[in-house]
Amino acid sequence: MNSSDDEVPGDETPPLRSSDAFHEILIFGSPETRRRFLKQVAGTSVAITVGSPLSLFAQRMSETAGGSAPSSAATLPLRLKINGKDVAVEVDTRTTLLDLLREQLHLTGSKKGCDHGQCGACTVLVNGRRINSCLSLAIVHDGEEVTTIEGLANGEQLHPVQAAFVEHDGFQCGYCTPGQICSAVACIKEGHVKSDDEIREWMSGNLCRCGAYPNIVDAIKEAAAKSA
Amino acid sequence: MAETVNILGPARNRVDGRLKVTGAAKYSVEFQVPNCAYGWTVESNVAKGKILSIDTKSAQAAPGVLAIVTHLNAPKPKEPAAKKHRGQTDGIRNEERVPFSDDEIHYAGQYVALVVAKTIEQARYAASLVKVSYAPEEPLLTMNAAKSSATKPKGSFGPVQIKKGDVDLPLKGTSLTKIEQIYTTPTETHNPIEMSGTIAAWDRDDKLTLYDATQFVKGVQSVIARAWNLPIENVRVICPFVGGAFGCKGAVWPHVFAAAMGAKAAGVPVKMHVTRRNMFVGTGHRTPTTQTIALAATRDGKLRAMRHVSHIATSPVGDHVESCGARSTGMMYESPAIQVEETLHKINVASTTFMRAPGECPGTYALECAMDELAYALKMDPVQLRLTNYADNHPVKNVPFSAKHLKECYQVGAEKFGWAKRNPQPRSMRDGDLLGGWGMATKTYPAHKMEAAAKVMLRADGSATVQCAAHDLGTGAYTALTQIASEQLGVPFEKVKFELGDTDFPFGPVAGGSNTTGTVGTAIHEVAQLLHKALADLAVKDSESPLYNLSSNDIAMIAPGHIGSKIDNKKSDAYIDILRRAGRGSIEVQSELKEPEENKKMAFQSFGADFVEVKIDPLLPRVQVTRVVSVINCGRVVTFKPARNQIIGGINMGIGMALMEATEYDPQTGLPATRNLADYHVVTNADAPVIDVTFVGEPDFAFNPIGCRGIGEIGITGAAAAVASAIYHATGKRVRDLPITPDKLMDIA
Repeated sequence: MNSSDDEVPGDETPPLRSSDAFHEILIFGSPETRRRFLKQVAGTSVAITVGSPLSLFAQRMSETAGGSAPSSAATLPLRLKINGKDVAVEVDTRTTLLDLLREQLHLTGSKKGCDHGQCGACTVLVNGRRINSCLSLAIVHDGEEVTTIEGLANGEQLHPVQAAFVEHDGFQCGYCTPGQICSAVACIKEGHVKSDDEIREWMSGNLCRCGAYPNIVDAIKEAAAKSA
Repeated sequence: MAETVNILGPARNRVDGRLKVTGAAKYSVEFQVPNCAYGWTVESNVAKGKILSIDTKSAQAAPGVLAIVTHLNAPKPKEPAAKKHRGQTDGIRNEERVPFSDDEIHYAGQYVALVVAKTIEQARYAASLVKVSYAPEEPLLTMNAAKSSATKPKGSFGPVQIKKGDVDLPLKGTSLTKIEQIYTTPTETHNPIEMSGTIAAWDRDDKLTLYDATQFVKGVQSVIARAWNLPIENVRVICPFVGGAFGCKGAVWPHVFAAAMGAKAAGVPVKMHVTRRNMFVGTGHRTPTTQTIALAATRDGKLRAMRHVSHIATSPVGDHVESCGARSTGMMYESPAIQVEETLHKINVASTTFMRAPGECPGTYALECAMDELAYALKMDPVQLRLTNYADNHPVKNVPFSAKHLKECYQVGAEKFGWAKRNPQPRSMRDGDLLGGWGMATKTYPAHKMEAAAKVMLRADGSATVQCAAHDLGTGAYTALTQIASEQLGVPFEKVKFELGDTDFPFGPVAGGSNTTGTVGTAIHEVAQLLHKALADLAVKDSESPLYNLSSNDIAMIAPGHIGSKIDNKKSDAYIDILRRAGRGSIEVQSELKEPEENKKMAFQSFGADFVEVKIDPLLPRVQVTRVVSVINCGRVVTFKPARNQIIGGINMGIGMALMEATEYDPQTGLPATRNLADYHVVTNADAPVIDVTFVGEPDFAFNPIGCRGIGEIGITGAAAAVASAIYHATGKRVRDLPITPDKLMDIA
C-alpha cells in the first residue's frame, strides 16, 4: 500500500545552496532530508561526511572565542527572529536550537523526544522549512526566522492545522503533537499531500508512539483541503 | 437513569486539546523553577561486578559543576523499598535498589554517578570526564544462563501458576488433535515520546517538590517521603500532563531518587531529563518471553487440554512478574483441563516492568497463534474454533463473565472485514505480485478496580471544579472524567473543570491496568451523592425552598442542576437558588478513600476481536499491514473519540510488536545494542494501516456505577497474533519468534 523505503516519492526538493547544505548535512535538517541523507550515506562513513563541516565549524568557533578549548564553554551572541519577535541572546556554542528554545527562552512547546533527530518531536520551521531543532546548533541560525508551535495560532484563532488536529483527535498524549503540527504545516506547503499514502510517507519523520497516525492523516487532509 | 445510558458516549473533542496543539500543555520538565540546575548521569559499562574507584577530580573542576553524587557520598535513604502493588497507597517500585547505595553493579547501564551543573551542556561535558574503574564479574545475560537460580514466582496481580483438571492425559493421548509450539518475544521497550524526567526542588531540608513525569503522583510521593523519612505532606508531586507512558512511568525509577539527591547535594533545584539512551535501561522494559503452548482438541474442535508454560526475566534487583499464561490461557476458552506455569529468571539486564497489557499482551500473542495453528490442524475456520470453545463462565474461577459480548465482536468484525470471502489455503489470496493474508485473533483485558477519592467545589454561578490526583497519559482521562462529572453532578459539561496530577488533590490510583475512568469515575459518583446530600441539607432548612422540612434522605438529583423529592416529583429546587438563598458563594465536599468493593460472584473482563490484512512483496520481503477491523466489548465508552484512538494506538503498537520492535543486547557486555529510535523501530505513519474500530455490548453496571471496564490496554492484546496469523496465511510460513522481520521471511519467494 505504501511506498517502500527504497524510494522517496515526489523527491523534488530543489538543489541546496551551500549554506543550506552546511545546515542540513551538519544538522540533518528536515525529516525528509534526513531520510535522503541517511540513504545516501548508507554503507559509507557518516563520520567522514559530517566530520568535515564540523571541523570547519569548530575552527570558526575557536577563532571567534579566542582559541579557547571546547571545555571552557565558549559563548557567542546570537540574533534570531522567533515567532515574529527579534531575540538577541548569548549562547553556549554547544547549545542546540531546541535547548535554546526550551531552556533559555522557555518556549517549551517544541519537545525533546530523543535528542538525536530520530523522532521529530522537536520539529520547528526555520525560514519556512521544517527542521529537527535538536540536531541543529543554535548558533548556526544567526539571523534566521524560526517559527515554533507557539507562533502558529493567530491570537485566539487556531491555525487550520491545529484546529484539524483537535477535531480529528490527531494525538493522545500530545507530546509529539507540536512537532507533528509544524511538520504538517510544512508538508502542506511543500505540496506533499496529494494522497493518504503521500501524507504518510512525508510525515514519517514524526513518530507518534501513541499511534494516532490515522487521525493525523485525516487532520492533515482536512487542513490541506481547506488551504487549497 | 442508568438503563438509558448508551454504550457510546458523545464524540467530544478533548478538553485539553487546545493546550496540546498550541504547545501550552506543560509536561514535567517544562515547569520553570528559579535557579534550576541540570543533572546528567554516568552509567556502568559492565553488567556485573563492583566499582573499584571513581575519579571525579577533573569533572569537579569543569565549568559550571555544582555537585557530583556517587555511592561514596550519596545520602542513604532510610526505608528504601515499597512494593505493594494493590492497596497501592505505598507506591510502586520494580527495582528495589536505590541508586548510588553501594558499589555493586547489577546490570549494564546502571547509574554510577550524577553530575549537577548550571547548564545541560556543562553537565553533559563534565559527566564525560568522570572516570570509573570496575572489577567486572561474569554476568548472566540470558534466561538459559540463569536457569539454575530460576524460581516459580507469585504474580504481581493474582495467581500465575494455575492447575485445573489433568492436562497430561489428553496431551499424551492419541485420539485428539494436538499442537505444541514454542513462541518467543524479545525485550520490548515502551519508548513514549516524552522521556521520563523529574525536577526536584527542596524547600529548606524537609520539604520537597517534584515535577515528575509519572503515572502515579501519590505513589511517588509515598516512596520518596519514606526514603527521606519525611511526613508525607512535605512531599508534593505535580504532573498535569504525561507525554505517553505505556507502563514505564508507573514505578519510581532511579532517576527520581537521583534528582532529589542531586538537588540536596547542589543546594539548588535539579532537572533530570532521562536521555533516550537511558530509557532503554533506567525506566524498565517488557521482559523477553519464551512460551510453550500445548493444545488438544476433539475432531469437532472442542478443547480438552491447554498448557501454557512461560519463562520470563528481570534483573537481580527487580521484582516484576509478567503473567503471560494466567492472563490469556487461564481465562480465555472453555476447557476441562488448564495448566499454566511461569518461571522467573534473574539476569544481569536492567529491571523489567509492566508494559501495555503486561501478561495479556505476550500471552494472547502465543495463545492466539496456537489457536490459529490448531484451526489449521483441524481444518476449521479460526473464528469457528473460537466460537466452539466460547466461555460464558470464567474457565478457572467458574463464575459468569459480566456483560460479555465476544460473540458479537467476532460476528460484527467478520462481517465488516469480509471474512467469509477468505480462502483458508495459504498463499491463495494474491494481489498481483504481492502475497496477501488474512488473520484474526481474540483480544482481552481484565477490568481493574482501585481506590480513589474526589473533591468537588460547586459555585453559585453553577460551575464546578472536581479534583482527584489522577493522570492523563493521552488516554483522554481529562475529557472522560469531565464527562462523568458533568453527568453525575448535574452540571453542564462546559461548566465543569476537572483537575488532576497533583498530590494536593484527593487520592488517585496509578494510571495503569485501564482503571482510571472506572475508579475515579466511581469516586466522582460518590462525591456527587455527597454534594446532592449537602445541598439537600441546606434546602430542607430553608423555608423559602420547595423542599423545606422534607427529609434530606428523600431527596436526590432529579434533573441536571436540580435536586428534588423522590416521593413528590413536583417538589424541586435548583442548586444555584439553594446556594444564593443560603448566602453561599460555593459549597465543597470530598469523598472518603476506601477499598473498592469486589463482586466475587462474577468475572469482569473486556473482550474484542481483530481482523487483519497483510500484503507482502515476496522479493523484499517486507510485511505491510494494510487493513484492520477491530471490535471491542469494554462496557460503556465514556467519550468516543479518545476511546477509539486508544484502540487504534494499541493496535499500532501491536503491529510494531509483530513486525519490528526488539531491544537487542550485546552478548558480551549486556549493554543494549538498540539504544535509540533509529535502531529500536516503532511503527511510523507509513507503517500504520487503516483501522476500523467498533464498540459493541452494554454498560457493565455490575462492575461499577459508570458501567465502563477501561480501554487503554486491550487494544494491543491479540493484535500481534492476528498479524502473525495473516503472515502465515499469506506465505505458508509460521514464524513463532517475534518480531517477524524480513530476514525471517527470506525463503518465502
